[in-house]
Amino acid sequence: MSQWLASVIDRANSVDDWLRPVRQEAVAQLKQTAWPTRRTEAWRYTSLHALKDLTLAEPTAAPASTEAPAITDLNSLDIVFVDGVPTTDIGSLNTPEGVRIYALDNASEEAQTQAKKVMNQAKNASHLFGLVNDALAQQGVVIDVADGAIVEQPIRVVNYVSAGVESHNRVLVKLGAKAQATIIEHGAGQGNSMNTAFAEYLVGDEAKLEHYRFALHGADAIHIGGSHFKLGEASRLNSTIVGYGSQVSRIDTDIVHAAEHADAKMNCIYLLAPSEHFDLHSLIEHAEPNGTTEQNARGIVGDKGRAVFSGRILIHRDAQKTLAELHNRNLLLSRGAQVSTKPALEIYADDVQCAHGATIAEIEEDDLYYLQTRGISREQALVMLNFGFIQELVKQMPNKALSAWLEPLLRERFKTMEPA
Amino acid sequence: MLKIEGLHANVEGNEILKGLDMTVNPGEVHAIMGPNGAGKSTLGYVLSAREEYEVTAGKVSFKEQDLLELEVDERARAGVFLAFQYPVEIPGVSNMEFLKESVNAVRKERGQEALTAAEFLKRAKEACKQVNLPLDFLKRGVNEGFSGGEKKRNEIMQMIMLEPTLCILDESDSGLDIDALKVVADGVNSQRSDDRSFIVITHYQRLLDFIKPDFVHILADGKIVKSGGPELAKEVEASGYAWLENHEEASA
Repeated sequence: MSQWLASVIDRANSVDDWLRPVRQEAVAQLKQTAWPTRRTEAWRYTSLHALKDLTLAEPTAAPASTEAPAITDLNSLDIVFVDGVPTTDIGSLNTPEGVRIYALDNASEEAQTQAKKVMNQAKNASHLFGLVNDALAQQGVVIDVADGAIVEQPIRVVNYVSAGVESHNRVLVKLGAKAQATIIEHGAGQGNSMNTAFAEYLVGDEAKLEHYRFALHGADAIHIGGSHFKLGEASRLNSTIVGYGSQVSRIDTDIVHAAEHADAKMNCIYLLAPSEHFDLHSLIEHAEPNGTTEQNARGIVGDKGRAVFSGRILIHRDAQKTLAELHNRNLLLSRGAQVSTKPALEIYADDVQCAHGATIAEIEEDDLYYLQTRGISREQALVMLNFGFIQELVKQMPNKALSAWLEPLLRERFKTMEPA
Repeated sequence: MLKIEGLHANVEGNEILKGLDMTVNPGEVHAIMGPNGAGKSTLGYVLSAREEYEVTAGKVSFKEQDLLELEVDERARAGVFLAFQYPVEIPGVSNMEFLKESVNAVRKERGQEALTAAEFLKRAKEACKQVNLPLDFLKRGVNEGFSGGEKKRNEIMQMIMLEPTLCILDESDSGLDIDALKVVADGVNSQRSDDRSFIVITHYQRLLDFIKPDFVHILADGKIVKSGGPELAKEVEASGYAWLENHEEASA
């Protein structure tokens, strides 16, 4: 066992709160879990070497208050965490009608009942770091949207991490039947932090969830987390995942179609500066008939960067009439950039339509020519076309305030990724 | 302004242009007509340096420069504009971003300041209006999901924005109904001036009812086989291109 994992278990044992049974269950499993190596399939292309003997400070009791990164015209309800500790007074938030928000460490029975409804209902039970999060996350947020509530105001959970600190936090969301909401998980921070952030979403029958996850961490960060969704009947999910690379960056996005006629659309974008790493694992499971899934993941990888995409669509025997598509496209900016991509379809039903594919994209010579015939230099045309590859997905984000904020950020980042 | 002498060009090893001569003076409109496969589009691509089009012999001078020495983007900045018959769709790049980059690249070459955002937008709106394109086209991807007619109008819109000195229109009429054709023609006519020249490539005489050429050339088998005034287009309209075979036999 790694020194770090041993310390996780020690620390979990010393926490005595209402989640102790969950922590103890996780500790029991962690003790049985071997530390991943290159031969562990789920971690084959993501080295955890940097974590093995990691020792970082625990979150301080009272972190400096930090404002959420401003996003013009978003007008979101913000819940800010710094190193896992809330700086927002969650109990006194002015919540939109039909929405109840609790801190995870809320002592009331009402809050704990809501948390229990969601916790470990959507997350992959054997994910090593999901278990670590179970064992250590003491803080987080529980969001409950009542049946039929149409919530216009986006709810944003900001998760700042600072240099030298290890932190863990959790987001638990339940969307009632026919409810509609927009939830943003916004991760940011600089320096050599370590953070796990797991979110679980139960999406009620005919509910609509618009979801964003931004993992915009610095190059030295270790960030491991997941957004996990369980979809009710005829519910709709529209999700956008955006990640920078970092020292170790791993996000799992899992979607379970637990009832018929659910519709999931997920776009994933990753931009890796030179020498950065990013690993996106996605499991989309159709357990019931008539569901649709469309997933598009696109990444640009700078010199010596390493991107990993593992996308699996699993269609159970009963899930007839499923429509599922999964595409991963990558653009490598130099010979030293690498991507390991593995789209997989596993189909046990006989009446489904599925498509999947992974490509290393190349710029079309005709597109370059066209831009050049308008006076744009070849170098500049290449930048425009390369970035255009990502911008196409940015434009598809339903929230225009978010896309207007994100586009220049990604454009700036892209400029730093270009080979000199 | 443009002088083409004995131009020969190959595409994938096949000789398409076989000794083309042509002179275009400032302010003139030259129509090039001819049957399919004569080399009309090839001429446009050769003049704008498309990669697969290899010049094997001949000279092209443009405003006293050797045009063939220049790269694609250099020719554009020098004032050559090609309106494509089939413009590509580039979903990731917005029309606005694309136009701004190109207008400012051309302005920089001419020693002009880059346009301010407000001035650019004003001109773009005017140009859109002129070719009857809705303003939200600016926000969409380059030609993304545009109909054939919208693509053609977008080409003319770009031409208006870039203010080139030599405009080559490659079958800008193909696939257009009469109303769209008029919009394209009006856009072109609004840009006619004493120092701007046009080469209008078309298969049909119809476009030339709306864009009155000064000269009409018939291109067949890689060469200009007949030149004349606007009346030549009428002749083609009346008798098609069948007479060319006789002509070739006669000249052989």
